[in-house]
Amino acid sequence: MTKPNPLNEREQADLVAFLDGELAGEAARALETKLSLDPAARAEAESLKRTWGLLDYLPKPEPSPSFTHRTLEKMAPIRTTAAMPLWRSLRRPWWIGAGWAAAILTAATAGYLGVGGDATDRHLTRDLRVIENKRFYDHVDDLDFLKSLDQPDLFEEDATGS
Amino acid sequence: MTAISETSAQMALRDPDVRVMLRVRADEPGAFAELVGQYQHRLVAVMHHLIGDATEAEDLAQEAFLRVYRARKKYRPRSKFSTWLFTIANNLARNSLRSRQRKPVTPFVSSESGSMGPHEQMVKDNRSGPMQKVQRKELADLIQEALAALNERQRVAVVLNKFEDMNYAEIAEVMGLTTKGVKSLLSRARMNLRAALAGYVYMDGAPAPEEESERPV
Repeated sequence: MTKPNPLNEREQADLVAFLDGELAGEAARALETKLSLDPAARAEAESLKRTWGLLDYLPKPEPSPSFTHRTLEKMAPIRTTAAMPLWRSLRRPWWIGAGWAAAILTAATAGYLGVGGDATDRHLTRDLRVIENKRFYDHVDDLDFLKSLDQPDLFEEDATGS
Repeated sequence: MTAISETSAQMALRDPDVRVMLRVRADEPGAFAELVGQYQHRLVAVMHHLIGDATEAEDLAQEAFLRVYRARKKYRPRSKFSTWLFTIANNLARNSLRSRQRKPVTPFVSSESGSMGPHEQMVKDNRSGPMQKVQRKELADLIQEALAALNERQRVAVVLNKFEDMNYAEIAEVMGLTTKGVKSLLSRARMNLRAALAGYVYMDGAPAPEEESERPV
């Protein structure tokens, strides 16, 4: 038959903490007094201590002899990745990113051209050479100068197409 | 706040294992192997007590070490190294137990005790004088069953306190609780253990409290 517990829940927790060396100050002193005066509380402490001691009967599991070797073996790929130069470790994500950017750009251009229709295509075709050479035209101050460059005698050799 | 952080950092630096971990962080050859060598027995033992399966315990211990290695560059010594390691271990064990709960798995006790549950067996043994009959191995099985019957948090607290000799503050850090919470958890755990193992507490022939109280003073 189970005997009624001589301690309330808080005292019980204090007792366990006391046995674990975790109770200090006034609470510890109060519990010490209780233990010295109350045989039931002493018996409670004793049975808790003994129960705790039973856990020493549990076998101590040991790792298998190959544990260290297997662990270090698993670690090797991580170490290799970590030792890889930055540019190598970044290479794949960079290409993936560039691929995605190109795909998005293509899709956006196609979408834009699709919306613009034939008229846009014609404009782009007509202006293509201008667009291609825009960086040269940026240095040209006026249109007359540009036209003068078109005189055949200035670039005779080139004009022959040789 | 800063003062507290500095103090704990200084305390941590006094921990020799923190210094080994800092060598691991610096990729010093052999440092990680040293750490594994130092902690493998403790980590596997704790995992085994928490999980109950030797193979799974080793796998989880290995995973804990690998996580330590992967996180080495971010490592900052804020507490004892063991506290950090067992926090990782506890998280892994908890995840494993939770995924196990989703699948029906038999409890982690050897089958030598027969088909009776621990409580039935203890009742039977109580009637027929268990102290003399129960062998050490069987007793270990019963104790392991009692440990396994605790809820997950109580079991973690017990294992860390008993086998890792961690104080309440360290257990609190590992489990993400307050020290007050740990105190209450351990108190309830020990009551449960005592209830489960009541028939075996005085098996060495020492007088039980009932007998003691009957003695003339």
